[in-house]
Amino acid sequence: MAHIPPAESGPVPPASPAMPRASRRQVLLGAGAAAGAATLGLPRRARAADRTELSFASAKFFGKETIAQVVDQYNQSQGKVHVTYIELPPPSSSTEVHQGLVQQLARRNGTPDVFTQDVIWIAEFARAGWALALDPYFSADVRKQYFPGLIEACTFQGKFTALPWFVDSGMLYYRTDLLQGAGAKVPETWDEMTQTAEAIQKSGKAQFGYLWQGKQAEVLVCDAVEVIASNNGAILAADGKSARVNDEHAVGAIQFLYDTINKSKISPSDVLSWDEEPSRMPFTGGKAAFLRNWSYVWGISQDPSASSVVGKVGVAPLPHFPGGHSAACLGGYQYGVNAASKNRDAAIEFVTWMSSPATQLHFALQLGIAPTRPAVYDEPELEKQQPFMHRLQSVFTGATPRPVAAKYAQLTLVLQSAFSKALVSGQVKQALDEANSRLDSILTST
Amino acid sequence: MTPGVSVAAGAGAVPRSHRRRGVPTAWLLLLPLIVSLASVSVYPILDGLWLSFTNTSLVTQEHAFVGFANYATLLADPQFWNAWRHTVVFTAVSTLLETLIGLGMALVLFEPFIGRGAVRAAMLVPWAMPTVVTSKLFGWLFDGQHGVINWLLLSLGLIRHNVNWYGSVDNAFATIVMADVWKTAPFMALLLLAGLQTIPATLIEASRIDGARAWEAFWYVRLPLLWPTLLIAGMFRALDAFRIFDLVYVLTGGGPADSTETLSTLSYKVLFSALQFGYGSTLSTAMFVTEAVIAAGFGLFIMRQMRRRA
Repeated sequence: MAHIPPAESGPVPPASPAMPRASRRQVLLGAGAAAGAATLGLPRRARAADRTELSFASAKFFGKETIAQVVDQYNQSQGKVHVTYIELPPPSSSTEVHQGLVQQLARRNGTPDVFTQDVIWIAEFARAGWALALDPYFSADVRKQYFPGLIEACTFQGKFTALPWFVDSGMLYYRTDLLQGAGAKVPETWDEMTQTAEAIQKSGKAQFGYLWQGKQAEVLVCDAVEVIASNNGAILAADGKSARVNDEHAVGAIQFLYDTINKSKISPSDVLSWDEEPSRMPFTGGKAAFLRNWSYVWGISQDPSASSVVGKVGVAPLPHFPGGHSAACLGGYQYGVNAASKNRDAAIEFVTWMSSPATQLHFALQLGIAPTRPAVYDEPELEKQQPFMHRLQSVFTGATPRPVAAKYAQLTLVLQSAFSKALVSGQVKQALDEANSRLDSILTST
Repeated sequence: MTPGVSVAAGAGAVPRSHRRRGVPTAWLLLLPLIVSLASVSVYPILDGLWLSFTNTSLVTQEHAFVGFANYATLLADPQFWNAWRHTVVFTAVSTLLETLIGLGMALVLFEPFIGRGAVRAAMLVPWAMPTVVTSKLFGWLFDGQHGVINWLLLSLGLIRHNVNWYGSVDNAFATIVMADVWKTAPFMALLLLAGLQTIPATLIEASRIDGARAWEAFWYVRLPLLWPTLLIAGMFRALDAFRIFDLVYVLTGGGPADSTETLSTLSYKVLFSALQFGYGSTLSTAMFVTEAVIAAGFGLFIMRQMRRRA
């Protein structure tokens, strides 16, 4: 705490142009004040020279606080490292964030020293050799403190190259009042959900049974990964070297999504053009019984100015097929250290602080992003201030990564197109056969 | 005209040796222009062409010459041909509709009426709007559940159920064409209005005196004289429509089932999402070649029309 500059000067960065001017004014005020100026200005300049300079690039997130404010808190908490935050576009412009990072990392000049990465870029950055392997710095015991699905997503070909920052995943939103009215319990299998949704639709209490995201976009791959994994299937084989998206597990799962529109008719055909927001609106408008979406919907659903279902919404893990288990598509951002960084030790120190339980709790309370350490969910402060997040621990425990592959960006384009074709035409097997051979050829080509 | 003629005549009078001596100076003076044009225009095109013969990828960190391998992949790539077809059809249909509607608008705006100036200015609003805004606007208008269009059609009794504009392979493409026509027809109208104004009023007057009705005056006098403007405006529009990107990107992302994928959105995905610069450049080159063919077709046609008239 001794290093923190006086409050009135605030967290002014070193070499601030404001400093000499302040000193001059102080000189004019008299000798005693000039001495004050020395204590105000000089120690900070000296410290700036001693400190290791780090650059930290991250997509923009904000809540009550911004990332820049959290970084400032780190700068003030110690005197060895000074971190400069480089703000990238928000995660809604994910392609631009990715592009910006790749362009910087490909230069291999050590800037930025630390960055944050979407969970689907980890393999790509690891394979290109841009992300430093963190195994020597974070032992297996430390890694056990995070959700297992996350550690799986952060590990590429046996190397741990990303440190979890925050987590999000798909989850099932349901209307507590409608379920009670229908005398139904929270569904655990897709069949149960379909029956309940049909019954509620028939009673006329809700126009739609189940809303999800079928737009030909990344979110469709997320929705598909969830149903496929909940049917004991997967997109890629365990070794990641071949595809298995046309086996009976995957075909059955995608067929189920097709049937929600065409057979049980619990979903309108509009879901085929909907991503997150268009599917969220009918639900918070009181028109639907079930919704698959991310954690952000909770806040909106409890806001009386945006929602007509305040106090009538419940959240549960997504249903599964008989013999399967609930799977939630893993999202979120992770820290990475630039392999070309010249300040490796300082970078490790910084990410350790950023991913520590205390900072994760701070992020949860101030920015509303969910911790990646299960232990943080037991903090009484989290339960008090973010009761909803507190309940999501069980959802995140079942979080399933999308294929961990260096060429994920190519794979997902094939998957988006194939799933969309299957859902529009109903030729599920044929579309997935085609996709499987295209995935295989991408995976085998170097 | 006179000074120009005299200068040309003067240049002709200069002895041969003198003229040759001026040549290096001329090149020297042109050099800055050549260098700047070459660096911002020629070099990127050549570099793109070169990339299209490599397997450059930022993800796999490869950068090797692969000959025509990318082009072989391209010719066998159903996604490319799918996008190519959509782009060509989109270009043809939207240009045709925009030219016809624009012509109609231009003819109306040409006639004097109260408030014409204000209407002419207001007409440019859709065109001046950023396309991303137009896309969002159309996204809401044509929304399958809460859209005004469905509500209007339902209220008028024209449809029984909400139409799924973007989520159905049958409608998504047509909806995007509609949005583009709404946005760009006014621009065509303005270009054609400028063309109409160059036609001497005396010709129309003369045809009237000869007993031509309004339709005949249009068909036999105005339209033939407007023909060059129509062709040039059509060419500009076609080349622009060929690059259709923002509407598709915002509204459908190329879906459902690739039914609205165009060459621009496909190359964007390959170049900037998958970061395959080699194959992406091959796609862009194919786009460039198709566009050059369209431009050449228009150019030849325009030249032939001009020659026939001359």
